[in-house]
Amino acid sequence: MATVPLVAIVDDDADIREALSDLLLVLGLRCRAFDRAEALLTEYQPGVFDCVIADIRMPGMGGLELLQCLRGYGASAPVIIITSDRDPTTRSRALERGAHAFLTKPLADTALLAHLASALARDDLLDDRRPQRPSDG
Amino acid sequence: MARVSRKPVPLIDAEFASNDDRMSWDFVASEGEYRKLIDHLPVALWQVDMRGVGAAFDRLKAEGVTDIATYLDQHPELVELGKDMVRVSAVNREAVALFRASSAAELVRPVRYIFEATPDMAKRVMVAHFEGRRNYREETRIAAFDGTLVDVLFTVTYGLEELDTSLLTMFDISERLKTEAQLRQLQADYTRAARISMLGELATSIAHEVNQPLTAIVTNAETCLRWLARDDVSLAKLEQLTTRVIANARRAGDIIQRIRGMAAKHEPERTSFDLNDVVEEALLFVRHDIESWRIDLSVKYGARLPKVVGDRIQLQQVVVNLLVNSVQAISQGSVSERRIDLRTAVGGDGATTFTIHDTGPGIPEENLGRIFDSFFTTKDAGMGIGLAICQSILHGHGGSITASNHPDGGAQFRFSLPAPPAH
Repeated sequence: MATVPLVAIVDDDADIREALSDLLLVLGLRCRAFDRAEALLTEYQPGVFDCVIADIRMPGMGGLELLQCLRGYGASAPVIIITSDRDPTTRSRALERGAHAFLTKPLADTALLAHLASALARDDLLDDRRPQRPSDG
Repeated sequence: MARVSRKPVPLIDAEFASNDDRMSWDFVASEGEYRKLIDHLPVALWQVDMRGVGAAFDRLKAEGVTDIATYLDQHPELVELGKDMVRVSAVNREAVALFRASSAAELVRPVRYIFEATPDMAKRVMVAHFEGRRNYREETRIAAFDGTLVDVLFTVTYGLEELDTSLLTMFDISERLKTEAQLRQLQADYTRAARISMLGELATSIAHEVNQPLTAIVTNAETCLRWLARDDVSLAKLEQLTTRVIANARRAGDIIQRIRGMAAKHEPERTSFDLNDVVEEALLFVRHDIESWRIDLSVKYGARLPKVVGDRIQLQQVVVNLLVNSVQAISQGSVSERRIDLRTAVGGDGATTFTIHDTGPGIPEENLGRIFDSFFTTKDAGMGIGLAICQSILHGHGGSITASNHPDGGAQFRFSLPAPPAH
């Protein structure tokens, strides 16, 4: 059986950290939440995190700088950027810097799940998904 | 009317006139000519015969009356008597026009009619006279004979001891008062427009603030649905997620409420509140800007601040304005350190103070004196009313605001609000 992937969540908003942590839990993933990009970098060790979900706008270092930093360390973990910023230039800047995906808030769980599945190379995450409501089935 | 000197009155400078006989006339104005001039003065003028008043005052003084105001309060019949005893002896054309009368004769009678709209003014005129003042002036209102109420600037010039004649003047100020009222209205509308335009600038920030709780709501609700679809659904987990949905919906509602409060046209209110709460609310509007410019924000909330009495929204606007100002100062300059320090405190006199210091380029010395003037701006797109509004709001609260350059560099703004009166 494959090990359960560990996902890092970086967002300065406590309510969003809580909500995302529980979403990942119900999806069968493990996660660690950080309120600042610097906090993640302090604890960062190669290979620990299988994926990083990061907000762009945070006090101190933002999500895009974090992405650049991780790439600078040679970290290969895919980074999914989540933001309220709908500016197309922000989007292209994120993708240019190597973001795995760029999602705007509020997130759609199906979109996040699809990107997580591809980032973690775990298609079974999608297979595992059961109909949410009878009408869906 | 007034006693006229018979001495020639030169109207042309003697130096110019010295060699020219035609110009060296002495222009002598006779009493008749003065009467004509006075009759055409664009100020309404009354000549009033005060005979008997001086003697009456002397009697009162002999009786030991010193506080005439109180005495007249106790003897209102004396004021009434005065209105009939003191008579108008002459008026000019403007006076006739002001009272919508058809002839001067209608005005030449006891002064009672002058005080028709403001009966108390007669007492004040008598008090000033009794106290030996030369002049009395008051902005008041008269009732013209057609019933129109007219706002006027009313003056009395009392005759000297031996002269029983006083002069009253009235100048119609209704236009001026109307203009002033319009100006105040305009200023209020303008303040509101500025507030709304500031809101526009802050729209991104607000959208971000509202989007955060919405994101939490959507994700928590989707997680709920995923749990519901499982066999091992935990009621405790569902309850936790649902509670979070409610809490975040409330958070979004609160933000919207605050924005509505800020945008609404409202009359100034007077409530009692903690300035620290106002600062916290104001930060909500600019947090986005502060973060996107990577500015370090340090806030020191003073402990046990006395409650401030005033309009909460207006003061919130002051704090937002000052914050936006600091953010712009930092973002426009090329500064190495990006930092804003906020501090609230209570001073020795019980006043609550708010200080903001930024690491921007500071204020050029030559601008320090006029930085609170309306339309003074150094920004290309600025209207230059932000700081003027701040100042007018603080003055309206009995407070003050000052601008200076901090010894360590950057601008420092400081406002203080007086301690509320003790109960």
